[in-house]
Amino acid sequence: MNPRRQVIFVLVIVPLILGAAATASVDDAQSFALQAAEPYVREGFQVREDYWGGDLAAGEKKAVRQQLFKGNEYWFWMGTEVRHARISVHIYDKEGKIIEQPDSWQKGPFAAAHVVPTSTDSYFIIVSIEESPEERTHWALVYGFR
Amino acid sequence: MISVLKINKWAGFTLAVIGFSAQAAQAPQHIDVKQYKKVEDVVVPLPNEVFGALNKLGPVNWKEYVRAEKGTNFSERPRTALLLGNVIADGFIAVQAQDAPAVKDIGQRVLSLAKGIGVGASITPHAKAITEAADKRKWESVRQELDRTQSSVQGAMNELQDQKLSQLVSLGGWLRGTQILTAVVTKHFTQEGAELLHQPDLLRYFGDRLTAMPEYSVPVVESIKRALVEVRPLINSGNKPISPEAVKKINEITTRLDGEIVTR
Repeated sequence: MNPRRQVIFVLVIVPLILGAAATASVDDAQSFALQAAEPYVREGFQVREDYWGGDLAAGEKKAVRQQLFKGNEYWFWMGTEVRHARISVHIYDKEGKIIEQPDSWQKGPFAAAHVVPTSTDSYFIIVSIEESPEERTHWALVYGFR
Repeated sequence: MISVLKINKWAGFTLAVIGFSAQAAQAPQHIDVKQYKKVEDVVVPLPNEVFGALNKLGPVNWKEYVRAEKGTNFSERPRTALLLGNVIADGFIAVQAQDAPAVKDIGQRVLSLAKGIGVGASITPHAKAITEAADKRKWESVRQELDRTQSSVQGAMNELQDQKLSQLVSLGGWLRGTQILTAVVTKHFTQEGAELLHQPDLLRYFGDRLTAMPEYSVPVVESIKRALVEVRPLINSGNKPISPEAVKKINEITTRLDGEIVTR
């Protein structure tokens, strides 16, 4: 890179990259969660428009309590825009027993949990940032049912 | 279908690079759920979630439950919020019944109510999309637009720092959904159908929210508060299944409340 291009890079491109990183938001994380959901939509899952999210430190967990209905089948998809983060989502009943199906998965900035409730009740969706290079990591959770 | 506009290119690229070689998630088999901070006290389901579960138990004549009358508008904001939720739930019923004229009327009604409460601008495109999708009998698109409508109404209310009104929209939809659920199950009782009423945390959640909004203490809100207390023991039957009598009683209560919500 010649000196003139280096100056342009430092003065123009670097601030743009840093600015983009600084303005990353839960909406970006939602975009990743929806991306994880996309293949399931083709299998007939209705994805709800609302989503839940925020930011967490690495190792931190939070819960979303949700009413589920026996007879429906649910997938919960979680995403983050932090590429090198590792996240997870798991589903527990009121007694704290894990109830998700074995095809639930986690892969870097995406994670998904599958549940076929055996009773109509409220359940706990536990989201976690397992590892992240960022101090705080945005996350978003969407769900679908069929 | 989910909106492709909401999926940015970077997300698609990342997923493509990572691929879908799913790893089994290693998670503790038991946890103490009380130790976790909650993002959301209880997520209120959309009416079509319970309708979907109901459909799996046997055929339902949804046309019977489509509401034909247009209803009135109110000047009190909490009443309008409850009615908005109620009318959006009617939209989901009309989708189940595949009743295009009813869906179109409901789209316009939602727009009118949203304008009355100052959030009409966010609803106009959805009302238009509902009409277009109903004309083409694209029921999945109508359902999705109804979902977006509720989300946009509540989002606009939250932006106006009126989360309490937003909660009343959810409550209005839940009450109408519960009224229809109990009507269907009363007609053809099954224990599986009755079990769909087992929603004690939602009842508590709505009760707590109503208690926290003394400024919206209009008569219908007070009626709902009392009704939630009446319903609680009917759905909390311990290890016993919810009885046909309890379902019928909940239907009477929610039908009475529906009357208070939709009429002046």
